[in-house]
Amino acid sequence: MTFGAMRAMEAWLLLGGAAALATWLFLRKLRPPRMLVASLLLWRRVLDEPRAITFWERIRRAVSLVLTVIIALAIALAATRPSLKSSTPSASRGRVLIVVDSSWSMLTRTGSHESRWERAVAQARRLAAAEAGNAMALATTADGLVEGPTTDLRLIESALDRIVPVGGDVTAWPQLAGADTVHFITDGAMARRLPGGVVVHSVFEAASNVGVTAFDVRPSLSALNAGDAYLEIVNYAPVAQDVRVRLARGEASILERSVSIGAGEALRQVLPLVRGAASDLHAHIEAPDNALGVDDDAFAWIEHGAPVTITVVGRQTGWLRPLLANDPDVRAAFLDPAGYDLAVGTGPGDHASEEDLIIFDRWAPPEPSARPAIYFAPPADTPWLAARAAGTNPSRAWDGSEEKRPRWETAGTHPVVHGVDPFTLKIEKAHPYGAAGLTPIAQSAQGTPLVYVSDTSSRRFVVLTFGAGESNLASAPGFPVLMGNAIDWLVRPDARAARTTGLASFNPATVQVIAPGGRQVPIARVSGAALAMLRAPGLYVAEGAGARSTFAVNVGSPQVSNAARTSLSPSDQARPVMAGASGTSWWLYCVAAAFVLALVEWWTWQRRITV
Amino acid sequence: MALRFEDDFLKKLEYLHVVSKRAFAGQNRADRLTPKRGRGIEFADHRQYTPGDDFRHIDWKAYKRLNRLLLRLFDEERDLPIYLMIDASRSMAEPAKFDMARRIAAALCYIGLAHLDRLTILPFGKSLRHETSPGRGKGRIFRVFELLENMETAGPTDLRQSFKEFASRPRQNGLTVIISDFLDPGGFDAGLKILRTIGHDVFVVHVASERDRDPGTFGEVQFVDTETGDVREFEVTPRLAAAYVAAWEAHAAELETFCGRYDIGYVRADAERPFDEIILKAFRQGRFLA
Repeated sequence: MTFGAMRAMEAWLLLGGAAALATWLFLRKLRPPRMLVASLLLWRRVLDEPRAITFWERIRRAVSLVLTVIIALAIALAATRPSLKSSTPSASRGRVLIVVDSSWSMLTRTGSHESRWERAVAQARRLAAAEAGNAMALATTADGLVEGPTTDLRLIESALDRIVPVGGDVTAWPQLAGADTVHFITDGAMARRLPGGVVVHSVFEAASNVGVTAFDVRPSLSALNAGDAYLEIVNYAPVAQDVRVRLARGEASILERSVSIGAGEALRQVLPLVRGAASDLHAHIEAPDNALGVDDDAFAWIEHGAPVTITVVGRQTGWLRPLLANDPDVRAAFLDPAGYDLAVGTGPGDHASEEDLIIFDRWAPPEPSARPAIYFAPPADTPWLAARAAGTNPSRAWDGSEEKRPRWETAGTHPVVHGVDPFTLKIEKAHPYGAAGLTPIAQSAQGTPLVYVSDTSSRRFVVLTFGAGESNLASAPGFPVLMGNAIDWLVRPDARAARTTGLASFNPATVQVIAPGGRQVPIARVSGAALAMLRAPGLYVAEGAGARSTFAVNVGSPQVSNAARTSLSPSDQARPVMAGASGTSWWLYCVAAAFVLALVEWWTWQRRITV
Repeated sequence: MALRFEDDFLKKLEYLHVVSKRAFAGQNRADRLTPKRGRGIEFADHRQYTPGDDFRHIDWKAYKRLNRLLLRLFDEERDLPIYLMIDASRSMAEPAKFDMARRIAAALCYIGLAHLDRLTILPFGKSLRHETSPGRGKGRIFRVFELLENMETAGPTDLRQSFKEFASRPRQNGLTVIISDFLDPGGFDAGLKILRTIGHDVFVVHVASERDRDPGTFGEVQFVDTETGDVREFEVTPRLAAAYVAAWEAHAAELETFCGRYDIGYVRADAERPFDEIILKAFRQGRFLA
């Protein structure tokens, strides 16, 4: 037996002291209560009568004493946080790192009505108790180091109470400098390459499960639809199961059916999504033999569910009309610059309306727009574009003057110019701008910037240094691609088909990420990237640079949902963690035993069975 | 303690009267028949006229028929001497018990006064204390109430000594009612025998409380005798408690058997029982009241 709260010697001393104290208190003669009686006449008669003393009367005092001592011992034992030595490896010397696999598959319920996670945490407690006295650290595969290194077992216990599965990257592995022993408690559902010398504890127990392994919105071939919902459900049970599937769009159910899925088979469902309704999708399945609950729900967001509202500001914007009119994902309005000035109001750049994007054609407002914007050949004398910051662009070959017939020869890597064929463009002249914060993403052969982007947390825009008058932009095949890229980059900065839980990277301009339920997710900025830990599946919202995009986070994948498989092989020499009683520590049993015994003693004392 | 009774209860009491198994001749005229012949209302017998007899009692109709002078005799109706002996020792100090004893005494006094009986109240403990005769008639009941309310418990119980003192004084024979718990270390038999031998009709009212009958506690207890101050410390187990209950029942049964053997009336008055029920039911069943 080992003691988690103290050293063995201290624990035994505590137990001995508790037993001695209980015995002393029991044997201590307390003054009995006084009771006035009318006469002792009858008591004398009763007491003077010879009476036979039964066996129980002889031993009941001793029985009471034993019960009292056992209660005291049970309470003292609970305080020592005991654990059985047999289920844990022998204590090692030096630094110890305990890593708990925080994959979602760890939530799989086992045959003993506990989850793999509960079993893993219980094993971690036992390991920590066995290693009491050594410097210990606790880590999870998703969060890295959670606690330690420390010799304070209570800190480790407290951290074990806090940690929860959050999925995460299978390549991530926590490091502890100078760790002499590394314990890894896992179910092996996610294949990992482990460093040498890691002691693996397996909580794997095969289970039947049905899960959503894929759910997203894919582009539709029909222009009438906003997309096609793709749903994949796999039955990982050894027998066929009747699975009830429900797919909801907003509050409305768009699919509700029961389907029998054979053992190991997958159901793949494609559902067209018409335009004009809610953009959030929620898939939910129910099955009789389903060990993992977290993969029963999946979420998706229809990017093109609602059209992008665009305001085009300029005097001769007719060349943009055919392109925008033919795009069902766009709803465009056209304004004269004077009309824009009226709509702006008093504040610089604060447009009164809430359009998603503003396109300025050969005209620019005195202040940059707060909304995402595309500027086509803005006037060279625009103050906020012309002003050149001191010390900027030192490496440019460009000399600051416009270039006649620049040649765009190399397509850039930036998302805005990705896939744009530059050779279809014929540009007569391009006028560069010298404002600070402009980043050229496409340049002519002579280095004249052709496309700029500005990407700050407050605003984001694209500037083309040539317009429809100085190029064949309106008819170039690359123009729709450029526009589509620019709209996506500006309006949907973090749009992706789906993300998984764990550490996620966002656009540097992202200022906040809001989790389902409205909770704000903390963002860490590392090397120019915004990182956030997505801890639960659902629909998240990312905001930054005046844009707001919604994205879905899902859990289901074949690795997570296949609860009957493990990547642990005999060569891993994983130590199996026994089932049962994992959720409860021994000290709780001690407290329960003490309580029950105290109850028994009180009940028997009330009836004078014991003293 | 207030000994006042409600009016309807007092009316019920007025319909009752104390029954004595024997007829005793009192000193004053009242409504109880006595063995004496005198100037009552009820015709009893004739006897030969002797000179000096009252002419008014000569039965002239009998003289005309028999030609003999016969005198008409009537039953004499007198009062009944009732001696109420109340145990005022420390063993009666438990409020419920002593209150019951005093209320019973008050009720009997009221019945007696209502029937013009001659009452004497005698508290006793180690010996007989100051006796009081409230007089005759219902109007005296308030004096009785006051007397009983002011009565206090003190000292040990000695039934033999108390009854001996009672017998040592010259008294008219009558009905003696003893209200006590009969917890006398010297025993109750000697004292009761004294009363019986001096020719009184004796009636015992055995007052007991729940605490007398059942210890009502378990575990280590220090018992203190209220009369002597003796202390006994022992552990009350369920068996011992049951033995005590049995001992008390044996004590009560012994008293009842003794009373039966010596033609002494016996009524048990548990302090927890309703007072009305004891007076109107138990006393009538014990043939003490009619």
